[in-house]
Amino acid sequence: MKTLYLDNAATSWPKPKSVLESMRLFFIKGGGNPGRSGHGRSIGAARIVVQTRELLACLLNVRDSSKIVFTKNATEALNIAIYGLVGEGGHIVTSSMEHNSVMRPLTDLQNYGREVTVVQANAAGTVNPDDVARALREHTCLVVLTHASNVTGAVNDIAGIGEVCRDRGVPLLIDAAQTAGCVPIDVEAMCIDFLAFSGHKGLLGPQGTGGLYIGSERLSEPLMRGGTGSLSDREEQPDFFPDRFESGTLNVIGIAGLGAGVEYVLNRGISAIADHDGGLLQLFLDELCNDRRYQLYGRCAEEGAQPESRTDLCIKQTGVLSLNIAGLSPSKVGQTLDREYGIQTRVGLHCAPSAHRTIGTFPDGTVRLSWGPFTTEKDVRRVVRALHAIAENEAT
Amino acid sequence: MSRRSKNIDLRTLEGVITFFGSHHAIRAEGLLKRHEITAVLIPGPREISPNCGVAVRFDFNRKEEVRALLQEHMVHFEDMHHYPER
Repeated sequence: MKTLYLDNAATSWPKPKSVLESMRLFFIKGGGNPGRSGHGRSIGAARIVVQTRELLACLLNVRDSSKIVFTKNATEALNIAIYGLVGEGGHIVTSSMEHNSVMRPLTDLQNYGREVTVVQANAAGTVNPDDVARALREHTCLVVLTHASNVTGAVNDIAGIGEVCRDRGVPLLIDAAQTAGCVPIDVEAMCIDFLAFSGHKGLLGPQGTGGLYIGSERLSEPLMRGGTGSLSDREEQPDFFPDRFESGTLNVIGIAGLGAGVEYVLNRGISAIADHDGGLLQLFLDELCNDRRYQLYGRCAEEGAQPESRTDLCIKQTGVLSLNIAGLSPSKVGQTLDREYGIQTRVGLHCAPSAHRTIGTFPDGTVRLSWGPFTTEKDVRRVVRALHAIAENEAT
Repeated sequence: MSRRSKNIDLRTLEGVITFFGSHHAIRAEGLLKRHEITAVLIPGPREISPNCGVAVRFDFNRKEEVRALLQEHMVHFEDMHHYPER
């Protein structure tokens, strides 16, 4: 049986062929350490790193590409920003939809006396900008929010929240793990000061890649210090970008792949990808939304019942659909999808317990279907047939 | 160093731009080439800068034009030196 991979929100698969080709070329013909020497292999590696940074800057509308620093994943990027921005006694605002990559650092900081306000999201999983405004205090030092929930795919109004934060002078850190490469992001227009992204999801790069855009001087302290290839005569950490935040040898082979992934996204067009994802979501909704056996979550559940209100769905929800089948546990549905139909999904809690409490699916969780740029309408019909068969069996 | 730049006589390029980090050196090289200004990445000469491992050799006569371009495109550099090949 040919398997069907629908766990792109965890990591995307397949990747464009150019991603592997780019990594292969670096492995065979490149291989140097960027910024460490003036010979061809070192310069070749540095060129790859710069090129990937510039492609990312183009995708995210970052004016100065040196303000994008590479990390091993979005979690590391979030940790750099959170620990670097939260000073003594600072107050932090976040939402109830956050992934543990945000919740765990914040819980740790609470143990050290920092105050955290968790803004309650609605049942679809989005946050109202007015609620964020009300949560701000005199000494709030950070607002950290997900761009889109990894559980429901619901996309937040970041431009609206960004405006609130900019007006009040509070830095805004966005977790774009679920949206970079899937949903248009413009750090200038959306007033985003810091953006953490994953390289191996929507950006189609290999695992072990990610990064942080640092758009404000308020973040000046890196989490790690070490060799950068620059200022080699000194034992203090460089104060310039990107070196200050990039200690130790970079994952150049991964960054080579990431560059090819971003290039694919730019060539196909971010709006075209969002439309593709939204189109497949519509297809799922046409089949599942008025069927009482299914409980759907996310913005499509709010608005999906009336097809005419589904316009712009692609900018309201990523290529993610969380659901449950009446009378069946998510783990049972996931197991049947996998073993009997070859459909690979993620079930249960998706590293975001608070998000599941918000949408009312704690502790059992959901069945999460998440597609990507290579998923087809035929794939969606196959999943729908499998779901109907599973629901049918349960009824009989 | 690219194959093409190996054919350039470095003695004709008497200027050297030094940088704090390699990101900006690579960007400078690409930017100058796009503006049809000859630029060659070289190992950074220790005598003029202890900083980044790479520097850019260029035509020193075009210093002001190069300075303006780098500033306009937010390429941060340490200094520009008159430093002929020895």
